Amino acid sequence: MGEVILTMKGIDKSFPGVHALDHVDLEVRKGEVLALMGENGAGKSTLMKVLTGIYKKDSGTITYEGKEVEFKNTREAQDAGIVIVHQELNMLGHLTVAQNLFIGREFKKGIRIDDKKMNEEAKKLFDRLNVHIDPTETMSNLTVGKQQMCEIAKAVSFDAKVIIFDEPSAALTESEIEEMFKIIRDLKKKDIAMVYISHRMDEIKVITDRVTVMRDGTYVGTLITEKCTKEDIINMMVGRVIYEDPKTESAVPKDAPVVLKVEHLNAGRMVQDVSFELRKGEILGFSGLMGAGRTETARALFGADPKESGDIYINGQKVTINNPQDAVNCGIGYLSEDRKRYGIVVQKTIAENTTMASMKDFMNGIFINKKKEVEVADQYVEALATKTPGVDELVVNLSGGNQQKVVIAKWLTRNSDILIFDEPTRGIDVGAKNEIYKLMNKLVAEGKSIIMISSEMTEILRMSDRIVVMCEGKKTGELDISEAKQETIMNLATREIE
Amino acid sequence: MKVEKIKQNAFVKKVGFNRIVLIFVLLLMYLAFGALTGGSFFGFSRIMNTLNYVYFLGFLSLGVTFVIATGGIDFSIGPVMFCCSLVSGYCLTTYGVPMAPSLIMSILIGVLFGVFNGYLVAYWKVPPFIVSMASMNIAKGIAAVFTKTQSVSWPQSTTDDGWYRNFINMNGIPVGLFIFLGISVICAIVLNKTKWGRYILCLGSNEEAVRLSGVNVKKWKMLAYIICGTLVGVASIFFVAAYTTVQPGYGDQYNNEAIAGCVMGGTSMAGGLASISGTVIGVFIISLLQQGILALGFTKEYQYIITGLIVIAAVYSDVSARRRKN
Repeated sequence: MGEVILTMKGIDKSFPGVHALDHVDLEVRKGEVLALMGENGAGKSTLMKVLTGIYKKDSGTITYEGKEVEFKNTREAQDAGIVIVHQELNMLGHLTVAQNLFIGREFKKGIRIDDKKMNEEAKKLFDRLNVHIDPTETMSNLTVGKQQMCEIAKAVSFDAKVIIFDEPSAALTESEIEEMFKIIRDLKKKDIAMVYISHRMDEIKVITDRVTVMRDGTYVGTLITEKCTKEDIINMMVGRVIYEDPKTESAVPKDAPVVLKVEHLNAGRMVQDVSFELRKGEILGFSGLMGAGRTETARALFGADPKESGDIYINGQKVTINNPQDAVNCGIGYLSEDRKRYGIVVQKTIAENTTMASMKDFMNGIFINKKKEVEVADQYVEALATKTPGVDELVVNLSGGNQQKVVIAKWLTRNSDILIFDEPTRGIDVGAKNEIYKLMNKLVAEGKSIIMISSEMTEILRMSDRIVVMCEGKKTGELDISEAKQETIMNLATREIE
Repeated sequence: MKVEKIKQNAFVKKVGFNRIVLIFVLLLMYLAFGALTGGSFFGFSRIMNTLNYVYFLGFLSLGVTFVIATGGIDFSIGPVMFCCSLVSGYCLTTYGVPMAPSLIMSILIGVLFGVFNGYLVAYWKVPPFIVSMASMNIAKGIAAVFTKTQSVSWPQSTTDDGWYRNFINMNGIPVGLFIFLGISVICAIVLNKTKWGRYILCLGSNEEAVRLSGVNVKKWKMLAYIICGTLVGVASIFFVAAYTTVQPGYGDQYNNEAIAGCVMGGTSMAGGLASISGTVIGVFIISLLQQGILALGFTKEYQYIITGLIVIAAVYSDVSARRRKN
């Protein structure tokens, strides 16, 4: 392995309310593949965005090729030789491969684009990388794997000296991954440094030289891939002290009835043959990394997205759920991840939002019984301690935590027995978080049942009676809280099938 | 995260404020035109002419208010209005269909177009812009084919069938005004006090949130277009009651004016926010403007230019108020 080409030292970056990067260090050497690992929210993408100029760091230094640098945008970083290959491909399907490769810097003959030259240059590029792709082929006709290789080729064509791969193998087949590895090994020989962001342990073990781990915005440490075990890495990823007492045992009696049974739910790549049960009075935690398919599972169950197959039983009875209306009529409520986009109608009042799912209970003939609306909304504002001057306040004016309470009030007004909370405390401050936890516990004590999707380990361990873990669309494990540990959960979340 | 006590409240207040400003503008315009024409603008016939314009344009505007409230748009209203009065008028004058059924047919044709537009937008998810463009042409086409591209003249008030003109005025009493204001009040009640209106406004603001609350958004979206179609049908009756003759191939200009009247009154093109009273005032302003321009001796062409500019100004102020709000 060569000399150090890039050093990031003491990088600090904060956003309102979030200390995203806390004095993070990173060192990359020529010709090496450095894995960058960490849970969701650990700060990996933020760090890369700071490097490539998308974010401006608050403090710290970036040294590249011996000189201190600060890129103001991705173009500057690109020109200097630092390129990211993104998870979502940025290719224009209707253009050819060559056109995509040289977009923005086309070869011209006078004022016309010189397609012939572009195709020649593209072929030269592919030959250098030992890749067999026809430059005249239309991009959308290529497989995802081949498109990815074009992205890589594009990166190399910028004379990249540092290439960052962001979850590169997420959409690839086994053989495509092998081909990508071949290219990576070639690039190594050419002394190109690479940062490989991924959570797939097996790949890390095969293709990387060193592993840098981040956790909660801090730099934890770097290991030499050959010399470390998967457990070592996982320990570094999760090894935090949990200050709030995790639940030690399930609060649900052994004989509690099953209120919801989902069998063989299939909805595309993100939901593959998922089956699970929810018992009365239980909080079932859904853990996993982003992209594991938990929200997709919930949405398929709720009828928000179409499903290919799957049977749903509520209290033992088979039900048909093809759209959210069906689900709501069966007593299921869904609090989506993105409150503002899917949970509340921002331009309307608290009272109006509270009754959104139960309008038929608030009618006086054909007129809306606004008096009753206000009464009921008031009741819930009090019961949930929602901070607001009144129920006529527009929800857009409330803080995140209070907006969440309005969404909860909506489902309570509907009397939903099964509640699906998707990232219930995301973007909510600590004080409001605790209030929501208290509320959830109160709800299950009253006999409601909750499915809680969360990417926060502490939250999962604190609230769940049982935990279902998903990874890349499949259910990889199920644990009772008494036997759940961070390491076990992370193990299951990173592509380990029982 | 800090709570930003904005501007959303202020914006809502702004709509209310807007209406008072609009009424002032209306009065000012009236006085200005009066002054510019040396007083002749205040005559009785002038008022009647303005009102005649207000009626049909008003119903078009009321209808399109519901569609815009869902975040959609409808460019077919003018041509459909003409299609209604052409087809039913042709049946009346050529096939001898009696007056009352002809009037009902007028409205029904409007309803049919509303169903067509609404179904395509809500159930097939075709963008409203495209659907209404298509409808517009279909309406013109049907009208032209049906009447063999001839114009149709509805009966004079002196004939036996002339009683339909009483919708406009009966012995000097502006009956039309009462009907228009009455229906406006009904629209306002529907929009603000019924479940229909609630769903329509909410889905215009955030359709997915409403859908995930278990509401059948497709049904309610389509309903907005059906309401619009019905009102367009009503507009067609008031048009012929005032202007007697309809010709195929026309109607586009009324689209812009109707939408301008609606947006000027505070209804937002982004959906979710609508004001019936604002629409009514907006329609009066546009009608007055049209009359004023004619009174000052300008030709109709100038009116097109000015209306176009007003549409841009109204939409711009809506968009920038929205941007400020965000």
